[in-house]
Order: sequence, then C-alpha cells, then structure tokens
Amino acid sequence: MKLITPLIALVISSAIASTAMARDQREYHQMVYDSGCKTCHDQGLKSFPSDTACLQCHDMSDLAKQTARKGHDAKQNPHDSMHYGQEAPCMECHGEHTKKQAICMDCHNFDYPKFN
Amino acid sequence: MQTRRSFLKFGASAATVGALAPLTAHAQSNQVEWDESHEVVIVGSGFAGLAAAVEAAKLGAKDIVIFEKLGVYGGNSTLNAGQACFANTDLQKKLGIEDSAELMVQDQLKSGRGYASEELLRHSAELGPYIYQLTKDCGCVYRDHIINTGGTSATRSHQVIERSGAGFIRPMLKTARSYGVKTKIRHKFEHLITAKDGTVLGIQIRKGYHFSHEDSGKLINVKAEKGVLIATGGFGANVSFRQALDPNLGEEVGCTNARGATGDGLVAMLAEGAMPVHLSFIQSGPWASPDEGGFGYGAGFSLYNFPHSIAIDRNTGQRFMNETADRKTRADLEVQRRDKDGNPNPALLIAPKHEAKKDPSMENVLRYNVAWEFDSVEAIAKHFDLPLAALKQQINDWNQYVKQGEDPQFGKRMNMSTGIYLTAPFIVQRLWPKVHYCQGGIQINTKAEVIAAKNGLPIPRLYAAGEVSGGVHGVSRLGGCSTPECMAFGVTAARSMMKA
Repeated sequence: MKLITPLIALVISSAIASTAMARDQREYHQMVYDSGCKTCHDQGLKSFPSDTACLQCHDMSDLAKQTARKGHDAKQNPHDSMHYGQEAPCMECHGEHTKKQAICMDCHNFDYPKFN
Repeated sequence: MQTRRSFLKFGASAATVGALAPLTAHAQSNQVEWDESHEVVIVGSGFAGLAAAVEAAKLGAKDIVIFEKLGVYGGNSTLNAGQACFANTDLQKKLGIEDSAELMVQDQLKSGRGYASEELLRHSAELGPYIYQLTKDCGCVYRDHIINTGGTSATRSHQVIERSGAGFIRPMLKTARSYGVKTKIRHKFEHLITAKDGTVLGIQIRKGYHFSHEDSGKLINVKAEKGVLIATGGFGANVSFRQALDPNLGEEVGCTNARGATGDGLVAMLAEGAMPVHLSFIQSGPWASPDEGGFGYGAGFSLYNFPHSIAIDRNTGQRFMNETADRKTRADLEVQRRDKDGNPNPALLIAPKHEAKKDPSMENVLRYNVAWEFDSVEAIAKHFDLPLAALKQQINDWNQYVKQGEDPQFGKRMNMSTGIYLTAPFIVQRLWPKVHYCQGGIQINTKAEVIAAKNGLPIPRLYAAGEVSGGVHGVSRLGGCSTPECMAFGVTAARSMMKA
C-alpha cells in the first residue's frame, strides 16, 4: 500500500500537468487554436513543432526590426543578437505551453520588458 | 577486454537501450541501415568543429556535415571573451612584442604543473600563426590591442572586436557554409557505430532533438566515409559528472558553459574504449562574477582590468593574490574568501575608472549591476563593510609598486600596469569562480586521432579536437589558450582525414 499511494499521486499529478499543458496558451493565438493543433504541430501532436512552424505567420527580420536596440545595445537584440544573429529558433526562448526565458538570460541580466 | 556485440539490424534495437547508457555497438557497414552518408562528419559547431570544416573544405572535401545538438550554433565557443593566444604574429611585431611558440609552450607547461603534453602544446602553438590567418581569412577582425592573460610571460592574447567568441564563430560559420558545408541544429550525437575491428563507420544521431527532452526527435544512422570528428566540448554543465570527478564542484558552484556542455561526446568515446586522461582537472574561472549567470559581462571586465587592479579580501581589506597568476592559483585563493560563519564572501576587484573606461566592458558591468562605481576609498569601505585603514594602506602600497615597477607583495608582472595608478573614482566588481573548462578528456595524438585505452593505438577513423580531448593542458589551462588549440586540432583532424 505504501508504494501504491505515491504511484497514484504521480498519475494524478501527471494528468493535471497534461491538461494544464493543453490549456496554457496565448490569447492572441486563439485563431491558431481554432484552426487546430496541427497548424503548429506539423510533425505530429506528440512532437515539438518544427522550427519553421512559427514562421508561417511570423517573420524573423520583421521581429528583429521590432526589437531593435540602439548603439551599443544593438547587439542585445534577441532576434538579431551578437551570438546568434537571426538564427536562434523561436522555441529556444519562447514556449507556447511552457514558461521559458530568453536564452540570453543564461548569462546576462538583460531586461526584456515585453518578453512572453 | 571489451564485450563485443553485433547487431544484424540497427535502429530499433539500438534505440530502445536509451540515453542513459550510450551503448557500444558493432556491425559491418553493409549490415547497418544508413539514413545519410557524408564524406566528413563533424559533431559540434564550436571552434574545433568549424575550423575542421573550413580546413577540410579547403583541402577539397565535397560533402562535409556539422551536427549541432542545440538550437543555436557555436556551443560554448560563442560564450567567452573572444581571445586567442598566438605567438609570433604580425600584430605582436607591430606592437613591439617579442614572443615565440617555444615561450608559449614553456608558459603552458608551467601552468600544467608537470601534467601537460609538451608534444600537443607545441603542435598547437606552432600552428598558431596559421590559425590566426585562417580566422582573418574567414572575416574575423582583431582589435589592435593585445590582452595580457594570467600566467604568460609575453602579451599574446589576440582578441576579436566583438570581445566574444561570437566574433570567431559567426564569420567561421558563414565561411564554412560558403564552401557548401551542411550545418544542422537539433542533431544530438548518441553513439559511434563501429566495425568489429573498432574502425568507426559512422554515428547514430537524434534528429529533431530538443535540449533536455531526451526522447525528442528520431534516431538516424549517419555513415562517415572519411571519418568522424568529435568536437563536442567539455562537461562543465553536467553537475553529477563533474561532481563525481571533483566533489567540490556541486550544484552551488556556478558555471560559465553553454547548457549543452554535458560531455555526451566524451561518454560515447569512453564507451568505445577511448583513453580517458585527467578527467578530474576541472578549471574554474577566477574572473567570474556571482552577480550574473554564466560567463556574462563580468569576465570581460576583470580580464581587461586585472593587470592594473587589485583584488581585496573583505575581512582584511588587503590583497590576497597575484591578480594575474594562472587561473587555478587565483580560483583556489578566491574560494577561500569566507565570512566568520564560513559562507562565501566574494573578494572585490577594485579598478581605476580612468583605465577601465578605455574598454567597453565597463559600460556593460555598470549597467547590468555586475559592478558599481565609487568616488572614494571610504565609500567602498562603507558599502562593503571593509576595514578602511587597511584598505587605504593597501592602495597606497599598490601605487608605490606601480611606481617602482615591482610587486614585493605577490610578485605580479608590473610592466602591464606601468603608469596606471589606482585612483578614484573606482569601479568595483565581486569575484567568485565558476566552473569554466575541463582540462581532461580523451587522449589524442598530434594527428588528432583518438587513442584506445587497451593498446595505446589510434582508433581508426575517429578524431577528436577541442575541450573533449584531454591531457593537452595538464592541471591548469592558461587563459586564451583553448581557442587556438581547439582550432589547431580541428584543422589537424581535417588534414588527417583528407590524407587518410
């Protein structure tokens, strides 16, 4: 019995986790949800979307312009950084169903106030 | 000695063994279902991998592939101060610096404390000017200023203008691609595929891998016609692995490495019988700041300022080390800075603003709360709770050493700070070491061939370069000496493969 109790707890918690996963979403992506999970999950529902999935709607060079910084800070543009240029895939920093932080924050105390 | 297993069909049977135990599997090439085939297969997109790709392309390889585990290129190589020690370059001559490969080897042997490989160091140092030119040909741009790094007897750390490894990685990646090198992210190396006699036939790769999701993606078998270069870097970010080797390096110790520095390539080669060397020699960076993650901005600031600044113990208000000693000497002394209860009480690096402001690193550390400006010695003493009189005396003494060109306190080489007095205003950064570099790895020879433990002979068609290889530097590696060594052995591996 002692063994079974934690097992049950594990099953319940993972069930909760999986529903939370499906629910956790950005409101402004509602139209994408309306058109179905496969809109992004182009490699099957159990797999991560491909790195081109987000780019069906988003354009990296446009994003780079939107997040451009001036002068010395220009290299801190997360969409066109000194380390990775415009090549960092969206999912390195952003998660639709998972909370993430920008990869830059592994080493730097940058402030990206609009990050999500 | 080894258990030999052969699988008639790979793929499914190999996959089920899982990521915990990278398996050794033997087969004949015609028994493996190959998903891809390439002339030169490179694992890792850091300095070693990219230098190998560029060199192999120059030597006429037509089909080169680089597999990168992470979603971004450059691994740990893109996260550092962008410095490379070369001896005998045109820039050194222009600046009137006398140096030689021999002197560079001697400096490194000293820091290696009897464990470094003179043969491998010499091979790397002698290739230095070639590597310097190769990087320039790729479009890397060096500053006119050469940096002094700890433990060197001549100023030789050439630095790219970005003051980051990115200044090497991005031009080299671009150059490699211009030669037609295929570069692939999210491809995690799982294990080698070898013939019964040990010859490496190819590798198994997890394609579509997302970091820390070990089951993501799918397994594919990649055939390597000329050979496989493992350039996967160190294991500094793998806490359980490093702590097994050095019990002092647990979770609470920071790390400058990219998250991918988990030692996968090393473990896979060990599984194949490669010779492990010096795995417990793990280096911490003495220039790191506890006030940010990873390598950050603090390292660049202290690297620039160590020669003309002092590091102060907060209990005594006094210096406790030669600020330009080798890394191990400094890191070992820095972790001894403790409060009365034995908790970390990081030392203070006190730099004169009039000199610090000459390097762009100052703006970064001030802006992101990694260092702070103080307009008097009193202000420093008050803020950090230091004994004022002792600190004042120390600064006066130090300025006397600057004047006389000699440091009787710790024997620091004072010709780096001639005329640079420590006067207000001051910039102060806290110092606490972070795990930075693994001197240990698998053994290679001067052809970048991986050596088998059982007989000391090269494992056919298996090459390694960079931090994954071990025994080059011994106990402690000097600053700026990994970058050129990674590239030198990457180039060497390419030459060996193209000759074979």
